[in-house]
Amino acid sequence: MEKRVLKKDKLAAIIKNVSRDMLVYAPVKEEDNVLFMALKEGREPLLNFSNSRNAPKTFFFPRTEIMMKYTRTGKGMELSKGEGEVRETALFGVRPCDARSFALLDKLFDQDKYKDPYYIARREKTTVISMACAHPPYSTCFCTSVDGSPTSGEGADILLTDMGDNYLVEFITPRGEKLLKYFGDLPKAGEAEETLKKEIAERAEKEIRSHIPAKDIKPILDNNFEHPFWETIHRKCLACGTCTYLCPTCHCFDISDEAKGNDGIRIRNWDSCMYPLFTLETSGHNPRPTQKERWRQRVMHKFKYYVDNFGAISCVGCGRCVMYCPVNLDIRKIVEDIAKL
Amino acid sequence: MLNPYIPMPVEVIKIVTEVDTKDIKTFRLAFVNREDEANFQYLPGQFAELSIFGKGEVPIGIASSPTQPGYLEFTVQKAGVVTSTLHDLEVGTHIGVRGSMGNSWPIDYLEGKNIVVVGGGFAFTTLRSLIVYMIHEDNRSRFGNITVVYGARTPGLLIYKDELAAWEARDDINLHVTVDKGDESWKGREGFVPTVCKEVAPSSENAVTVICGPPIMIRFTLPVFFDLGFSKENIITSLEMRMKCGIGKCGRCNVGNKYVCKDGPVFSLAELDKLTKEY
Repeated sequence: MEKRVLKKDKLAAIIKNVSRDMLVYAPVKEEDNVLFMALKEGREPLLNFSNSRNAPKTFFFPRTEIMMKYTRTGKGMELSKGEGEVRETALFGVRPCDARSFALLDKLFDQDKYKDPYYIARREKTTVISMACAHPPYSTCFCTSVDGSPTSGEGADILLTDMGDNYLVEFITPRGEKLLKYFGDLPKAGEAEETLKKEIAERAEKEIRSHIPAKDIKPILDNNFEHPFWETIHRKCLACGTCTYLCPTCHCFDISDEAKGNDGIRIRNWDSCMYPLFTLETSGHNPRPTQKERWRQRVMHKFKYYVDNFGAISCVGCGRCVMYCPVNLDIRKIVEDIAKL
Repeated sequence: MLNPYIPMPVEVIKIVTEVDTKDIKTFRLAFVNREDEANFQYLPGQFAELSIFGKGEVPIGIASSPTQPGYLEFTVQKAGVVTSTLHDLEVGTHIGVRGSMGNSWPIDYLEGKNIVVVGGGFAFTTLRSLIVYMIHEDNRSRFGNITVVYGARTPGLLIYKDELAAWEARDDINLHVTVDKGDESWKGREGFVPTVCKEVAPSSENAVTVICGPPIMIRFTLPVFFDLGFSKENIITSLEMRMKCGIGKCGRCNVGNKYVCKDGPVFSLAELDKLTKEY
């Protein structure tokens, strides 16, 4: 792995150069929010930011996406691919929690037998440039409780760590190394930088204030599907789905058709296990009839089923669902309560 | 990479109205492209997504058997938007099919055993696929005695009537057709499926039962088979859930950590016992 040292004031120009050759998404200030947006002429990437409001999973798994188009031709149909070619892309300024979400989503979308070609096509054409959290930005951050770290490079191709005057630039994957040319002839990182990175990592981990027993609840969930606890947690839930739409690891979707005359498209849209219609069958039967079953599903999926199937908790501890729930439902509190069952 | 979300074009080549109420029809579909037919491998018990462009998709169990090359058959009850549109189609129309999906009836496990097939209503479709598969001349010797108990509410609601008559005439299959309530023309048996199973009393010796039907039928049939000595490993059934993607990604059809579309729909009672009761 190549490790280089980059003067801080050089970074913005490098990202600009990259954006001449490929599509670059970076965190930018948009009204009161920080959002990942395409870096167009005149738009500066934020280098000091907490985290984006939207989870960057949307670049691999968009909210709405055309799966195919078709045209009616007599008694038959002419099918064509959904959208155009996927462009070479760089995602700049992804926080380690969000980059980890890509590694977790890979487990589902890129299985041996069942592959999702839309997700994989974008993933293969995208370089993820992560920005370590030298100082974890929010009181709601809990990445270390779910196997993450504020300075982890998991899911990233390049990892930048703020070391004061410089960035340590780690080219983690061959895909990341392809971008070496944009960084120019940088000095290689030595022992001093290694030591500093270690110190920064240790300090950043200590700065995480939120700790939850996320790894302890799996054996409890294994045996307490019918526990009365589930009657209590969902009561104030509005079923708005905000938690699932902001979540970097949620991946549920719906498939539907839209047609006008002889032309039509089949699209997929994000969907949510929080919604009553999600599992409603044509017969009228609904295996998850109330918000109780839906909340149980959300907790079980993240902390038990994903662990059963892929060996990993499907939560990266970004804290978005905690920050933006309109009724202050807090997954950290729920996990703590389950640990006491 | 093969795109598992893109349907293959098929032509509707035959439509059979199965029941007096006309709301169950069997559609015979032929692949428009030969290579698609070669790629579409399946076993009894699997399903496919039928696709009506502009309306959407619907997961339906495959009623034909892989021993019947050249076409696929699906028996469909008119219920929602897609199935209603399907019911209005004419022979010659092109639709789409995506699959095959899910696991199958466990053919390898069934081999060498006596098989008791129990079906109710139009859930009989994938059981029909299994029966046709087992009694095919290439396969018949792989299975022991085949007993079939099949019931519907009324004679007019029995599906595959011609085929039932043909099976009745064979001596290598022990067929018991029953209706909850007969009419003047009905000469056959009357009685609920669980009661008929009790009367037929198939031996559990080296036997497996494969059950598919409405939940209430299954609920009352299970105790009969327990009394006959069938173990939970040897009682096999098929689950239904709302499914969309068919490949375990869209997230709605899970029961515990299993996805019905990918890990099912076929489960033994022993396997179901290990899962949560959320179906």
